[in-house]
Formats: sequence, structure tokens, C-alpha cells
Amino acid sequence: MHDRAEELMELAVDAAQSRHLPGFLERFAERAARLLSAEWCAVMVFRGRETDSYQTSTGKDRPDAAQHTSLIRSARELGKEIEVRQLLAELVEAGEAEKTKTAVFVPITASDAESLGAICLVCEKKKLDKAEERLLRALASHAALSLENFRRFSQLERSKRQWVEDIDAISDYIVVHDRSWRVVRTNRSLASHLGVPPVALVGEAMSSLRQIAESGSDLPCPFCRDTQQAREEYVVASPERIFLVSTSRTPGVSDDDTRTIHVLKDITDRREAERRYRELFDSIQEGLFFATPDGRFLDVNDAMVRMLGYDARDELLRADVGPHLYPAPAARERFLQALAERGVLRNYEETLRRKDGTLLHTLQNITAVRDSRGNIAQIRGLMLDVTEQKTFQSQLQRERDFNQKILNTTQSMILVLDTAGLISYANRRCFEAGYREDELIGYRLVDWVESSHRADFEAALETTAHGQQVENLELRVRRSDASMGHFSISLSPMRDEQNAVNSVVVVMTDVTDATLLQAKLAHSEKMATIGRLVSGVAHEVNNPLAAILGFTDLLLENPQIPDNAREDLQIILQETQRTKDIVQDLLSFARQRPVQRELVHVNSVLRQTIKLRSYDFASHGVEVVEEFDEKLSPALGDSQQLQQVFLNILNNAYDAVQESGQRGRIVIRTRLRGDSIEVAVTDNGTGIADPEHIFDPFYTTKQAGKGTGLGLSICYGIVRAHGGEILCWNNSEQRGSTFVVRVPVANDASVAATLAKEAGR
Amino acid sequence: MKIQTPAGLAPILLIEDEPSVTAFLRAALERHGYAVANAASGAEGLKMLSGGKYSGVISDIRMPGTVNGAEVHAWIQKNRPELCARIILISGDTANSETQAFLAQSRAPCIEKPFRVQQLMTIVEKTFGKP
Repeated sequence: MHDRAEELMELAVDAAQSRHLPGFLERFAERAARLLSAEWCAVMVFRGRETDSYQTSTGKDRPDAAQHTSLIRSARELGKEIEVRQLLAELVEAGEAEKTKTAVFVPITASDAESLGAICLVCEKKKLDKAEERLLRALASHAALSLENFRRFSQLERSKRQWVEDIDAISDYIVVHDRSWRVVRTNRSLASHLGVPPVALVGEAMSSLRQIAESGSDLPCPFCRDTQQAREEYVVASPERIFLVSTSRTPGVSDDDTRTIHVLKDITDRREAERRYRELFDSIQEGLFFATPDGRFLDVNDAMVRMLGYDARDELLRADVGPHLYPAPAARERFLQALAERGVLRNYEETLRRKDGTLLHTLQNITAVRDSRGNIAQIRGLMLDVTEQKTFQSQLQRERDFNQKILNTTQSMILVLDTAGLISYANRRCFEAGYREDELIGYRLVDWVESSHRADFEAALETTAHGQQVENLELRVRRSDASMGHFSISLSPMRDEQNAVNSVVVVMTDVTDATLLQAKLAHSEKMATIGRLVSGVAHEVNNPLAAILGFTDLLLENPQIPDNAREDLQIILQETQRTKDIVQDLLSFARQRPVQRELVHVNSVLRQTIKLRSYDFASHGVEVVEEFDEKLSPALGDSQQLQQVFLNILNNAYDAVQESGQRGRIVIRTRLRGDSIEVAVTDNGTGIADPEHIFDPFYTTKQAGKGTGLGLSICYGIVRAHGGEILCWNNSEQRGSTFVVRVPVANDASVAATLAKEAGR
Repeated sequence: MKIQTPAGLAPILLIEDEPSVTAFLRAALERHGYAVANAASGAEGLKMLSGGKYSGVISDIRMPGTVNGAEVHAWIQKNRPELCARIILISGDTANSETQAFLAQSRAPCIEKPFRVQQLMTIVEKTFGKP
């Protein structure tokens, strides 16, 4: 039997040495039972709503589970004082009725009055004496102290374990070493990197960690660089990995206390990402930039530097680049406003100025980065050089404009037909020529072609549809005013990408005037040739004619010639005379008689001419209508010769109306037409059989002997000598024909020239 | 038939390259009492003029060879000024602008071929006087 004091001391020693709470408490319960001669003892420890009960393992009167639970319940209801309770009868085993059992409860209270638990003893005593109560209280104090210590200790243990777990949970490598370069501690990440448990490294030399990475210093620690620094941060690299090493040094009172903590952060992936990003940033063909809202670049890539024509990135990052870069400050303002409103600008076009001053057309995608107040803090963007496209575009535009201009200004009508011959395009000239869009577009061009020429046009279209070009097809085409014009038409096939003819370009030129001019030229050339021929013939004929006429005269003067011979000679004379007249007419046609240049009032010349024939007109019922422009300017010319022309035309008109057998009507109009005075003589006679040859010498429709066929040829010569023209055609609306004579009006310059010439004579 | 020419009166020089015309002119003039000498070209005419005495000259304008009517006229003006007013020109080609210019400038009378005997004699008598 232990002495009580000895038991208590052992208890204290046990409490100080025990690391295992349940074992200690069980021993405690045994001791308490022994000290108080109890049959059973339990140390009940409250853990929240749970109660852990540590009880004696021996004793014949152990409570069963239900009794135990009841005891715990009682313990939890315990106040601050010791309580002694009679145990219920049913708790008392049968056959031991005379034995009374009591349960003694002693609260275990912490120093801060927290109820930690209770000590419960089951014994046969009905009450405790004072010594026993003191002992119980001392035991409770011991229990409280031990529980509190255990609790603190386990908290410490837990937090220490937690700490190690936390450290181990960090994926970064952590190693702590002392001043003698020995490993004090590593975390699990580092150890598992080396394939060993963390404890295996404790006490090892730091140099054994060189395989992880090396900072390149001569120190025994591969991660130390400057031991004088309290903190260091740098990147070390192994062939495979890159680490950011953060080092902290905690100086202690002794060498052993001095700790160096290295945290190695594996930044290989970040570095790689950064490297890739940089590589992309610099190798990309688009310009990338970070800029401040006031236009200063924070970072730009190589493409951007190149694009803007700078030699180096730093040059572009200088603060004074902005003003040079933006040629139009107003445009810059607009840009900033748009960015502030929308935050993101897509395909924003901006013109910048390169270093050398040339303009750079850019297409930008911009994102604004805002600060906490919502102001734009940074501008990030991607920039494309579209100068070439711009140039190309403007070149294309210029070309298009040029083509459009050609199409619009050409004097030819240009149309595009689809393969069915329907007009799909007509240039401006077509509309200037009077055609309307709604009568061209969508209609067949062939419908405008004169019916007799349509087959030719269709054939040409067919040829073109087969890929052949048709040039200078001359066709008569209806003009917008319904008149027929002479058109030169070229058709070219237009092909699609597959080289198939999908449309036909038609170029049409109204060559009516040109045709007319050509005819006139041919005519005047012909007339000149005839003139030279006639002149030569006339001259040669005149010599023999002179001899014939002369000798005939001499013979007739001879009185010895018999009368019958004389009659024959008269015939010779007469025919010679007629030959002479013909030759005279021929000569006067061919004669380049200089035109007397004087002011001629055409109206009065016409009136005189009409007067010459007025008797004939009146006696044969031919009506002559004068429609003169009384304000007509004078012409410059030879009134005698012009009278001859008018007389000739009037004679022809008279003959024509006489022949027709109808009531003759001759209308004579004068008017100013451009720089010419135009005289038009219209009759309602028989018309002209062949207007194209009427001015040819010897062309006559009159019966033999009535005219030499040279009258109009002579008129032609005279009018040409006046610098005018003479035309004739059959009337389209009524029978008969019209002759037109045009002579130049006498303007100031021509009068002055004439006067000067005359003064010089 | 022989017609006497007045004695002492110098002949008229006829310059004409066309023989039929020469023949007709000679016949007409001689029948009206004029004495006639003739040259077949301008060159021959000038030769005769410089070597002989003539009361007047009738010359064709257009003649082959180096000397034409205009040059004959110019030669006379220069070398035989007394004959200047006694020249009659004959033309078969008044349509020619050169001829026209010459006629306008010379003011000499001109007969256009073909012509009647009466036309010829009127001008001859007016220019040379009656024989």
C-alpha cells in the first residue's frame, strides 16, 4: 500500500513525463481509486458535448454501460462542489442488498473556471471525511493542471504538425540551413524532388542540393549569393528548370540560431510562357504596342519599330515621339473619345507619320485598360500596315475613275450586251446622244439597227459570242430622234474567269458626218480631175475648131460658092458654133476664174435672178415663194457668178416642175446657218434621178440639145471657188428636190483682209 | 487668087504653132489686104522681129518651146516699144489662171479661139488700122 503523499508525487511525475493523455488518465484513475479505496474510478473529460471517460480497469463492481452513461450524465450536471450520490437500488447487485454504494463526483475545473471534466469514484462510503475531501480536491487540481497542460501540448503539437504539413503542402521548394551550411529543415516538395523523406536531409550539407540548381556563387550553399543581405531574390537555372530563389536570413543570438531560408519557386513554365509571349510579341508581323493615353509608348514590338521606320525600340519609346507620330491632333482626339466611349476599337483606321515623315496607313485593334476610377490608364493595340493596300486601293480607284472618265468622255457610244444581245450597260455618250436608259437597258440592240442590216449585226454578234472580234462594221442605226445614222460598230468579246464569253462590248460611232465629208472630198477630188481634163481637151479642141470656123467663114465670104454648098457650110458653121459652146461651157466649169470679192447681198441677188425668169414663171403658173431672212448679213463674193448659180438652180427647178405636170411651186429660203448664208431652193417637181452625180459634167436628164450637162458642174465650181458648198437631195416629205447653196458670211476679218488685198493691188 | 499688098507697108508678123490656125489667119488677113509673115514658134518670132520690120504682131499665148506669147510681149515692150500698142494676142485657154493674169497685166487685145472672121477683122482693123 502506497503512502498517499508518495502516490501524489508519483502522480505529479507521471503528469510531467506523460506524452499520452489516455494512458496517463487511466493511471490517474487507478491511483485515485487506490488513494480513496474506491471500487471504481473514472476521469471524465468533457470534449464539447462528448465526454471521454478513462476508468480503472480492475475492480469487481465496475458499472455496466448503462450505469456508466448514467454516471457521465450526473458528472455533466455537476456543479463546482464535490457531490456524493447514493446509487440507485438497481445499480446494486442482487444479493448484496445490505451494501450501500455511493458515487462521488469531483469537478475538474480549469484555472479560468472552465469545466474540464470530473472525477467519479464509486465506493461503499456513505460520506467523505475532510481529509478525503482535501485529497479529492488535490487530485482534481492535478487532473485540471494535467488536462490543461495536455491540451496546450496537443495544441502545440497540432499546430507544429499543421505547420509542417502546411510547409510540406507548398509546392515551392523550401530549405532552411544554419551558418555551418547544414540543412535544418526541408519541405516535402524539395525532398520528393530528390526522392527522399524530408527527415533524411536534415543535417546534410547544403552542397548536396546542388543537383537542384545553382546560383553560381562560390559559397557552399547553391542558393546563397550574398550572405550579408537579409533578403535576396534571383533566378537560378538548371538545365531543365528555372527557379526564382527568394532567400531570407534570420540572425539569431548564436550561430546555431542563424537561419537561412531559401524558397525556390519553379518558374520554368512562367518563364517559358513569358519567353513564348516575348517571342510572339517580337516575331509577329503585326505591330503590338502598349501606350499611355497621351500617346507615349510603354512597349512596342520589333514589327512596330520597323513599321514606323525607327532604328531601335528605345527610339520609339522616347517621350517626344508622340507629336511626330500623329500628323493630325484632331484625329487623335477623335480616336481617344471613341476609345473612351467604347473601350474597344476594331479595325480603326489611323494615319501615322513615320520617322522619315512619310505617311503610314494603319488598321488598329485597340483595347483600353482602365484604372479603378474608370479612366483609361493604358492603351493596348495591334497595328497593321495597310499603306500598300491603301495605295493599291487608291490606285484601283484612280484606275476605275480613269476608265469611268474614258467611258464618260469618249465620243463613241459604248454598250455592253449579254450573250442574248440584251443591253446591260450604256455609257454616258449614249444618253447624251438622246437615247433614254429605259429604252436601252434590257432591250435588244439589234432592234435599233435598220431592218436590212439586222442580219449583218446578228451575224457579227454570233461571231463575237464565239470569241472573235468584229471591227468597223458599218451599219445604219436608228438614232434617238428616229433618223437613221451611219454607224461604225466594233464588237469585242468579254470573257469571264473561265475564259468563256459572257458579254459583248459594242463601240458605236456615228460616222454619218464623216461619211458625208468623205463623199464630199471624193467628189471635189473627182471634180478637180475632171476640171483638169476638160481644160486640156478644150484647149486642144479649140485649135482645130478655130481653123474649121475660120475657113468656113472664109468660104462663106466667097461669092463663087454655090447656094447648095453654102447651105452645107451654114450647117458646118452651126455645128462648129455648138461645139464651141460646149467647149466654152467646159472651160467655164474648169476655169478657176478669180472670184470678185465684194460684199454681196444674197437676198437682192436672188430677187434680181427671180426677176429674170418671172415672166416664164408667171406665164406657166409656177408659184415662187420667197422666204427670206431680211436681216441676213452680206456674203463676200462675186454677185455675177452667184447670180449664174442661182439662175441655173432656178432653171432646173422650173424645168422639174414643168415636167411634173402639176402646179409648180418653188420655195426659196435664205437663212444664216453658222458662218454661212444658206439658200435653199425647194421645188415640187419630178425630183432628181441621181443626186450623187448631178454635179458631174455632162450629167443631164434633159433631152439632147437642150443642155450641155455642164450647168450644175459650173455652179459647183463657182460655189467651191467662193469657199462654200452646193448640195441637193430629193425631198423626204413631198415630191421634188431641194438645192442648197452655202457661202461664207462676210465677217469683219474677211472683209478687212479683202480690203487690204485690194489696196495692195 | 492673088491679092496685091500695098507697097511700102510692112507685113504683120504672125506667131502661131498650129499650122491650120496659121493658114486660116494668113488667108483671112491677106484677103483683107494685109501683108503677112509668119513664125512657127515664139523663138522664131523673136528672131524675125529682131531682124525685120513689121507693122504689128499677132501671137498665140500658149506655144510649145522656150518662148510663149507672154515672153514675146515682154520682148517687144523692151526692144520694139513702137510695136507695143500693135500686138494682138490669141488664146485657146483663157481658163488658165496664168493666162488670165498675163492678159490683165498686158492690156493687149485678145481673141479667144475659136473666133469668127468678122471678130478677127474688127480687132485687127482697130489695132493696126485698115490696110
